[in-house]
Amino acid sequence: MNQTPQRPPEVLSDASVDELLRDTTPWLSCEECFERMDAYAEAVARGLSAHDQAMDRHLGACPACDEEARSLIELLQAD
Amino acid sequence: MTSMGRGDAGAGMRAGARAGTATSAAGVRVDGPTSEGRETDWVAALSGSGSEQATALRELHGLMVRAAAHQVWRMRAALPDASPGAVDVIVNQAADEAVTAILAKLHTFQGRSRFTTWAFKFAILQAATEVRRVQWQHREVELRDLEVRPAPGHDSPELCAEGSDLATALAAAMRRVLTPYQRRIAVALLVDAVPIDVLAERLGTTRGALYKTLHDVRVRLRRELVSRGYLPVPHGDPPQTSTSTLDRLPTRRAGTP
Repeated sequence: MNQTPQRPPEVLSDASVDELLRDTTPWLSCEECFERMDAYAEAVARGLSAHDQAMDRHLGACPACDEEARSLIELLQAD
Repeated sequence: MTSMGRGDAGAGMRAGARAGTATSAAGVRVDGPTSEGRETDWVAALSGSGSEQATALRELHGLMVRAAAHQVWRMRAALPDASPGAVDVIVNQAADEAVTAILAKLHTFQGRSRFTTWAFKFAILQAATEVRRVQWQHREVELRDLEVRPAPGHDSPELCAEGSDLATALAAAMRRVLTPYQRRIAVALLVDAVPIDVLAERLGTTRGALYKTLHDVRVRLRRELVSRGYLPVPHGDPPQTSTSTLDRLPTRRAGTP
């Protein structure tokens, strides 16, 4: 009797699981994130809350945008 | 960081930007406390002509060099060649491109931040993108489907079982509710950690398009795992069960093989 070998279960790392299941709602595109980044960075640099959940979620999910936002905040704080 | 001969105006601008009150020799005001009049000066000067515009452009370039240099410094560990000469090339190229982008988008500046803050982000974006491109220029990017290594062990059998259960369920969900293209993008960006702009360039698409794909992936996977009881029902949402065949069909997307 032919039996197709069972594929062993594949397992993702904890970090990969966290990234794949990250909640990125409400939706915010990278383009819109860039549009908001200056105002957001100024608020954060002043120690204020930017009150922008969509921005917070996007930066938590997009390393490239997050790096650029952190860099801008750091640059402003250096002034 | 040097600014390759453009340093004088740039240096003056940098000092002014820090003090918040200086005025360049050509009368272009540096950002101070936000006020409509000061922000209008930048836009007006850059939009104008003659010597005032030329001075504003030089000063803007100096600021862009500063921001680009800051960004490259932050990411210096990623550079295969971090010599001053190589860094200078990246910084000035990014500054040049930032100035071009700013001039094209000058009409979109709305004063929600200081002009310099708004401008800085262009240089930071250009510099970061270039550093990542240089970092990966000799590295092959494999667009592979889901083939992952076993997860490292946890401290306790219970945690190990729980983690493996979710991870296994997630891998199965990826096969069930994602298209092959969505899986490959998700694996490349979230498992293999390829930078999103590097992958976009290799695929001839945009960072934004890839992020949208990722967003759709995450929404689908979260919905699937909620329906199967692996994730809690979002607060305020009614419990969902995956009884609909339509819910299980991956969405056809442009470019999907």
